[in-house]
Amino acid sequence: MAEVIGGIGISHSPSMGVEYDKANGTRENFDDRWGAWYDGCAGVRELLARLDPSHLVVVYNDHLNYFDLDNYPTLAIGVGDGFRQADEGFGLRDLPDLPGDASWGIHLTEHLVANDFDMTVSQDLAIDHGIFSWLPYVSDPAWPVPLTPIAVNMIRQPLPTQRRLRDLGLALRAGIEAMPTDDRVLVIATGGMSHQISGGRFGLANARLDRRFLETLPTELDALVALPREEYVRYGGTEAAELSLWFTMRAALSERARSLYSFHTVPQITGCGALVMAEPGVLERIDPPMEEQTS
Amino acid sequence: MPTTPTDAATAPDPGGAQLDAPPTDLDEPGTIGFTPRRALAGASLNRFALSLRSESNRAAFLADEEAYLARYGVPAEQRDLVARRDWTALLLAGGHLQAILKLAAASGGTLLDIGAHNVGCDRGVLATACPRLIDGLPERMP
Repeated sequence: MAEVIGGIGISHSPSMGVEYDKANGTRENFDDRWGAWYDGCAGVRELLARLDPSHLVVVYNDHLNYFDLDNYPTLAIGVGDGFRQADEGFGLRDLPDLPGDASWGIHLTEHLVANDFDMTVSQDLAIDHGIFSWLPYVSDPAWPVPLTPIAVNMIRQPLPTQRRLRDLGLALRAGIEAMPTDDRVLVIATGGMSHQISGGRFGLANARLDRRFLETLPTELDALVALPREEYVRYGGTEAAELSLWFTMRAALSERARSLYSFHTVPQITGCGALVMAEPGVLERIDPPMEEQTS
Repeated sequence: MPTTPTDAATAPDPGGAQLDAPPTDLDEPGTIGFTPRRALAGASLNRFALSLRSESNRAAFLADEEAYLARYGVPAEQRDLVARRDWTALLLAGGHLQAILKLAAASGGTLLDIGAHNVGCDRGVLATACPRLIDGLPERMP
């Protein structure tokens, strides 16, 4: 059976992609602000390579780049063997499409619907900066690992509750463990940290809130879920509502999963951070323990 | 093509070059909620703006804005806001930020043009002021 080996929470933003392209992905071409993001992501890149997953489940939010308001799904799953890039209005970036695996999409859809998550099924999903902005910072653009994308409504009120997004993580874990393959699955959630990109509060960011979130998510999920969304929005901006996607990742891991790495920076407008977690023993099975490596 | 409105009636007074830290209340104009009523009021406006996700539509719109807007049935008062690129009024009229951003992109602008208009300051002032850091925490934050 397939296994959940760990999870990543990571923020996304259009600027992340713009800056990556401007710098041609080369460290010395980034300015100091985005260099800090690049450097922080190096830790994620290294752990992602060591964890060596064979499939990714990526929980993200679309920004009206594929879906539109005439029909807006609360929870949608991409089912197919590949996912193209969405044109966000500025033209396409020079990046390859994302590899999918239809058998994973079919399996997870069946499992989730059987467990009361009435997924919208997207057979022709195009994906925006929700995934494409951070991915080249942590993985080479040949995209070696297929993924199953799950899109969460962060556009149109009412948004799914924080409790529901936590429960989605629980259902995903059970669904992954019911897959009759020996895949090693990493659950990734991506949502901006503190930011607000409209209204008089445009540009609001809160590094203290973001850092506290990164520190407490591994061990205090229930308390974070219980905190009203309005409070995240008040202190973190309207788009900090996207932090609730990170609950799905945390809930998809066991209680014993632990944090391996986190970092935070505020390059421009958006609080940006990442958290890498793994199930106990997963890294040790791959690599010799650190003591043995250094002795 | 104006990317920064010059005659926008809804832009607040620019004030000084320094921006205050954003407040923690969730009222307008600090926060412009995309309510279900706004979503309905902006249905054709958003349909129009999201059509600009394709290059051929962007070209067709820029070639004849009036005719293009008419095809989407955008009401006259909202067509006027589009013509003036009155970003703040477009959001208040039911345009979703992520949809209106497609209009800014097609017009050679960016998110900062919308933001500066919302805040009521020069684009450069806003770019310098960002991130506008606050450091409060919710009372029950673990």
